[in-house]
Amino acid sequence: MMRGAAFSAALALCACTQQAPPTDPRVEQFARLPNWSGIWLADGLEPGVDGFSVSRPPALVVQAPGIPWNESAMARLQAELATNPELQVKPAAGWGYPLMMDGAPPLQFVITPEETLIFNTYRDLRHIYTDGREHPAEGDLWPTTWGDSVGHWDGDTLVIDTVAVREPNKYFGISAWLSDQAHYTERLRMVAPDRIEGEMTVVDPATLSRDWVVKLNYKRADGFDRLIHDAYDNDRTGFDGDFYTIKPATDAEPPAAP
Amino acid sequence: MHRILFTVLAQFAVVTAALAHHSPVMFDQSQPRTLTGTVREFQWTNPHSYIQLVVKNDQGQDEEWNVEMAAPTYLYNLGWRPGTLKSGDEVILTIAPLKKGGNGGLLLKATTADGKPIGRTPAAQGATL
Repeated sequence: MMRGAAFSAALALCACTQQAPPTDPRVEQFARLPNWSGIWLADGLEPGVDGFSVSRPPALVVQAPGIPWNESAMARLQAELATNPELQVKPAAGWGYPLMMDGAPPLQFVITPEETLIFNTYRDLRHIYTDGREHPAEGDLWPTTWGDSVGHWDGDTLVIDTVAVREPNKYFGISAWLSDQAHYTERLRMVAPDRIEGEMTVVDPATLSRDWVVKLNYKRADGFDRLIHDAYDNDRTGFDGDFYTIKPATDAEPPAAP
Repeated sequence: MHRILFTVLAQFAVVTAALAHHSPVMFDQSQPRTLTGTVREFQWTNPHSYIQLVVKNDQGQDEEWNVEMAAPTYLYNLGWRPGTLKSGDEVILTIAPLKKGGNGGLLLKATTADGKPIGRTPAAQGATL
């Protein structure tokens, strides 16, 4: 009888242990984070078959309406237009920051407790450190094409602080002509299962007369089932001194003699 | 200051913008042209895809056209795949020709020979990157 009771008690203890396994703190950390998995497109910037036609003008390009340029920036723009009226720019290998946040390439957000990664099909990549660190000290920080970002979660809103972004137009000439000293703050939140909304505030006294606020809206992409990356292995864009042109296909037959 | 701002923005208003990897100002969007021909090669490549299209000219001679398209990542989103076009396919292409002239242009629309659209067109394409 005693042995039967002891066996029952041991069995109950075992069952109790199975019902309440120790929780992995790492699992709990992930469970508290939003789920932004999937592939996202800047709303209104889904290109057509030509790669250029979209539903609205992009907001972060140099010719976007409403940028509060200061007088020196305006003078610089006018000087550029005097010699380059069509604002032709050299080809770029990507979009850079901040343009990648309101561009045509699809984006992916990978959220972990320590950092959020934001990247696109042109391999523009941002690390948003959310582990409590600050930006590097001034002497350890230099401007780069994608800058240095730290962030934190304000409820389900990702708040991003970005500095040390090299003049964006040096990487891709259509980008807004901001300075290396520009300070960028973003707030992004998933407002519906298929939509992320937010805004970017740019403070750059060197080029802007006041804070510049840009809306950032993303919709879940329905035409993509994966992000596909590839190198430039067939760059046929040529330049004849006046215009960009298309180089003939390398395997094309030479034109017939007249 | 406001007059300067207006002047600059007015100039920007007629400027077509650009996209990685280059600007579309090399193409004349105001003079679209229709090409009916045979695909010699479909180049599914970065930074742009191309259709090498053989077209009969006014003298009845074959001419090859270089028709530029979006990068594969954008075409993929529109339902295009590497095998969408094959050598020998008859197609009708609407292009924006090169400003410089010559047998080249930017693809605006593609259909099969009997007029069926190839790929999906995103809604409300009224602006330019």
